[in-house]
Amino acid sequence: MFGKEFFVNRYRLLGWEFRDVTPRQAIRVNTMNVKGVNLVERLKGLGVELEEIPFLRGGYWILHSEFSVGATVEYLLGYYSIQEAAAQIPATLFTDLRGKTVLDACAAPGGKTIQLADLMENTGVIVALDVNGRRLNALMNQLERCRVKNAIVYRLDARKASKLGLKFDRILLDVPCSGNFATDKDWFRRRTLADVERNARLQREILAEAAKILKDDGEIVYATCSLEPEENELNIDWAVKNLGLETVEIECYGEEAPTEIFGKRLDDSIRNCRRIWPDKTQGFFVCKLKKRG
Amino acid sequence: MAKPIEDFARLFGAELSLDRSLVARKGNKVFLLGPNLKALVGKGGEWLFAGIYLGKIEGGKFLPSFPLLFIIADRAQNKVVVDDKAAWLFVCGRDIFKEGVLEAKGSRRKGAYTLVLNRYGECLGFGVMEKDLDKAKRGVVVKNVLDVGDFLRRERGERTSEAYLAQFYFVG
Repeated sequence: MFGKEFFVNRYRLLGWEFRDVTPRQAIRVNTMNVKGVNLVERLKGLGVELEEIPFLRGGYWILHSEFSVGATVEYLLGYYSIQEAAAQIPATLFTDLRGKTVLDACAAPGGKTIQLADLMENTGVIVALDVNGRRLNALMNQLERCRVKNAIVYRLDARKASKLGLKFDRILLDVPCSGNFATDKDWFRRRTLADVERNARLQREILAEAAKILKDDGEIVYATCSLEPEENELNIDWAVKNLGLETVEIECYGEEAPTEIFGKRLDDSIRNCRRIWPDKTQGFFVCKLKKRG
Repeated sequence: MAKPIEDFARLFGAELSLDRSLVARKGNKVFLLGPNLKALVGKGGEWLFAGIYLGKIEGGKFLPSFPLLFIIADRAQNKVVVDDKAAWLFVCGRDIFKEGVLEAKGSRRKGAYTLVLNRYGECLGFGVMEKDLDKAKRGVVVKNVLDVGDFLRRERGERTSEAYLAQFYFVG
């Protein structure tokens, strides 16, 4: 089970008609580093055309630039990060991050880790995990560039996070996923349903570990850039039924997630999740979970 | 572990006094921790990076990080402020020509270490005075040792400034 027709038909069954899209490049201002700096004016002065992203604070789409926005002095000084618009959503869904102990379970290459540090104003602690050496180096370079002060990085599989002996107030699960066609032009050729199901199993293991190390009043934000329900609604339905978690209402860009997938009825609370079909952003899925009271 | 860092800061006429109890070394890398992170580091586990990365020690030489340069920049006496063109060329790894210098503070003597700032006062890296600034009429006056363009060179997998950097000074 693979191929463009197979997957496009699934999207149709989920209520979305396929169209090819190219997501816009986006940046996110690192507010902790730009005090006293009018970054937007400086970028405009360099000839970069920006449009404020209406559903994000400090997020801008790049409408036009004669050069890479990853090669400006402002970027090198950590004033902003290049971060796709939908990918900027998950970290903003946590309540009250200041002073908290936060786990970024699949952290590399670090875009969301930097965003968490910014939202935390460098207070509390971010424990950032990943396993891939090259991606860990990228993460550490980002932490240095953006002058993050409150993060500690471990080479550790998220499925073994309990080895740290810590409990967390907030857990970000930006889990490894199958991705989507909007950011990978070969996606339909390279992916099969078997890949999707393998990733879904890995994601469930990470969810189960996170549930173990979440404080009683803690919050999990789960996100993927996959459009496949096995990695999204079906996994969250499983977590609600097996891990003592419940979904929390969130207000963010995206559609209410469906509660019936290919004829299977899911828990009604799955509607609290948000599904983002590709348009100006890439495809995305996000939801917030807490322990059932 | 704090001494090489404080000695490095002194090259620029900056006095740093680091809380020894919050300086941690992991392999050859040195970090400045907050109290929360210090408690975590003490618990063990194979951590790779924590708090503010200050730099690394290789073969007895201290190689600074950019966050450390930014900390030093607030206290340093030796600084040159350069124009936009010189700033961009510096970030691309080039040296500073006399014509690009807008202002110089602190030591202007050949061999002095100096931070390089753009017209906004932002630290772009550091270099060594190639000539006495007051005597030089034109040509290179500050030899580039380390610049923030290093982040791009790392991303591209190009040779970073470290090997080059290591030729220049010895502290610790």
